[in-house]
Amino acid sequence: MSKKKIVLISAIVLVGAAALTAYMMWNKPHKDVKDTDGLQIAAAELYNLYISDSVKARSLYSDKIVQVTGEVAKVSANQLNQQVVLIKTTVAGAYINCTMEETDAAAKEGSTITIKGICSGYISGDADMGLPGDVFIVRGYSFTK
Amino acid sequence: MKKIAAIVLLLSGFYLSSTAQLYFTKNGSVSFFSSTPMEDIKAGNNQVISIINTSTGEIQFSLLNNAFHFKKALMEEHFNDDYMESAKYPKSTFKGTISNLKDINLGKDGVYNITVSGNLNIHGVTRAVSVPGKLTVKGGAISANSTFTIKPKDHHISIPAAVKNNIAETVELTVNCNYEKKN
Repeated sequence: MSKKKIVLISAIVLVGAAALTAYMMWNKPHKDVKDTDGLQIAAAELYNLYISDSVKARSLYSDKIVQVTGEVAKVSANQLNQQVVLIKTTVAGAYINCTMEETDAAAKEGSTITIKGICSGYISGDADMGLPGDVFIVRGYSFTK
Repeated sequence: MKKIAAIVLLLSGFYLSSTAQLYFTKNGSVSFFSSTPMEDIKAGNNQVISIINTSTGEIQFSLLNNAFHFKKALMEEHFNDDYMESAKYPKSTFKGTISNLKDINLGKDGVYNITVSGNLNIHGVTRAVSVPGKLTVKGGAISANSTFTIKPKDHHISIPAAVKNNIAETVELTVNCNYEKKN
């Protein structure tokens, strides 16, 4: 094979590889939550860490896959008709606020639930107005046994 | 006896006037939309906390920037890492008031045009804004929605030259919240 042909084929392969890489990156999937292990923690413990040491909580849990266990306070739906499960904490009116990727028909007020999802973090409410904040979980899956 | 009655009435008045009527949501919706000839970009956030004090007209919104969901994972990554710098500026907030509170009758179902004025904090930069919206009263429940525009550069959000044509100079924000009365 002539030198020119080798260079040409190499260039085509390189450009093809670069294009394929760019295509795969552009179309890379979102983080797999359902089949990935999460950091296991009780709802109250997760909430208390965010309100007592937000820096530590963010470094440990924000943007991480967590597996939170606690008692269901309320089940509702948001404007996209996604199920929202509120898990109780030790603070009245404050919850682990979980938006579900898949609806858990068994989730009911008072039941114990384990939800795996990505922890977005904590939003404070308004102390003057008596509204405590929540810790938010997105892309939630129920793993209650 | 008359004096006691007068004092009781006076104290009742003070109590009633100081009892705020608070409405809140912790799963409100904020979405944004950017349109250029190169591409349309949109993302939504359904973990918005909002509170309205219908006695004073105070209204607040708070959200976590990393809770905006994009269809493309790479777009979401760039949004958080490069544009919003969500690790450095985790939240966006708005604090303000409904300027024409007197035009709203919570006891009468209807759709009320409102103007909301206050401070919008995005990417660590606060700007005073005044935007139109609608407050809907139905069967004792209230909901609020608004669509307005912002400029990323006003909040010091830098767009790299390589993608300058992919992101609009003016981005449309849509707010949609259904509130419940706070006990």
